[in-house]
Amino acid sequence: MVKARTLDRRRKSIRNIRKITRTMELIATARFKRAMDRAVAATAYTRRITALVGHLARSGLEVSHPLLEPRPEPTRAALLVVTANRGLCGGYNAAVLRLAYAQWDALAEQAPERQLDVVGKRGIAAFRFHRIEMDRTFTDFHDRPPYEQVERLANGYLDAFQSGRLDRLDIVYTRFHSLSRQEAVVETLLPLSALEEEEEPPAEVQYEFLPSAESILDEVVPASFKVRLFKCFLDAAVSEQIARMMAMKAATENADTMIRNLTMTYNRARQTQITSELLEVISGAEALEQ
Amino acid sequence: MFVELQCIVVTPERTVHEAPAEFVALPLYDGEIGIAPGHSPMIGRLGWGEMRIAHEGQTNRFYVEGGFVEVSGQTVSVLTSRAVPADQLNELAAKEQLHTALEQPAHTPEEMDARQRLADQARAQLRVIRRAKEL
Repeated sequence: MVKARTLDRRRKSIRNIRKITRTMELIATARFKRAMDRAVAATAYTRRITALVGHLARSGLEVSHPLLEPRPEPTRAALLVVTANRGLCGGYNAAVLRLAYAQWDALAEQAPERQLDVVGKRGIAAFRFHRIEMDRTFTDFHDRPPYEQVERLANGYLDAFQSGRLDRLDIVYTRFHSLSRQEAVVETLLPLSALEEEEEPPAEVQYEFLPSAESILDEVVPASFKVRLFKCFLDAAVSEQIARMMAMKAATENADTMIRNLTMTYNRARQTQITSELLEVISGAEALEQ
Repeated sequence: MFVELQCIVVTPERTVHEAPAEFVALPLYDGEIGIAPGHSPMIGRLGWGEMRIAHEGQTNRFYVEGGFVEVSGQTVSVLTSRAVPADQLNELAAKEQLHTALEQPAHTPEEMDARQRLADQARAQLRVIRRAKEL
């Protein structure tokens, strides 16, 4: 028989945990809204870039660029893994890392020289635990990755790719589909797969290109790579907050059930204690009378 | 007939400016371009420097860095990686950038290009700051 007082103490500590998880859920919700707003604000640029590519394609220009050409035998590959800086977000980091390990092993067969870049403390700790050497680590991308920072990273990859120090770049991150669906995915960012272009009936407008369509294409391709990388970071940030929100919501609900069950057991234990004490008093009194 | 331009400035992070305008001046890759209502459809590559958006006697000044401008109909859309209002530019940071760019050793043509680009961008920022102060 558990003492009523221990049960009460346990219930109190669960109440405290519930307070914490509930607060974390609220914080994650607020952060999620902010991250979502940013992701929505970023779509304006993406939409216009794709429209621009569409105009270029319709002007009769052959869309070709060194960044778009697949290299037949890649020898130097890089893998960028985007994880969170903090835990307590359900299976978010685990899902990304599971894919990352698989991709890292798969790359070993294709490319003799591999480079591993990891974003987020969680990912860094996991790779260190598995004794996999990392080339670069980043912990300064928070829930609001600034474009400038992502651009700097992107420029590094672009320079390496163009000067031949890199043949392929893969990224593992969590893609945001909808509020109820996010999944960890592997994507090849370099060489860029075909540029997305807007599908609309060809407009009657004849554009003038300054200085020339080729020169604009030269600039569009790196720009769309950067914006794609940026979108990966934004998606990861949104998905992380959703994952944390869900995890904390589940934790709060579990705490609620536990408190309910403990309250019931506590009441029973207290009643049993009272009954047994009463019995003792009564039997003591009866013994005295005799 | 009097028509106005609709000027939209977007960066990868957000839409910076969206308002009607009578005249827009932009730094193109090889020189400045002015766009008034009725401009023919055009797509241009931007350089770095000052963008001016004039509306009702007021001029909004921005520093833009690379990107594109698309003119179609009465809409001017500016896609750029950075668009900072001229009075919010950081003079110290720009000077710092110029300084580090000039100090940096460059041995290959690519490195020299990169150094030149950084220095030019820093100088363009300083120019925009100076012009904003003069007014």
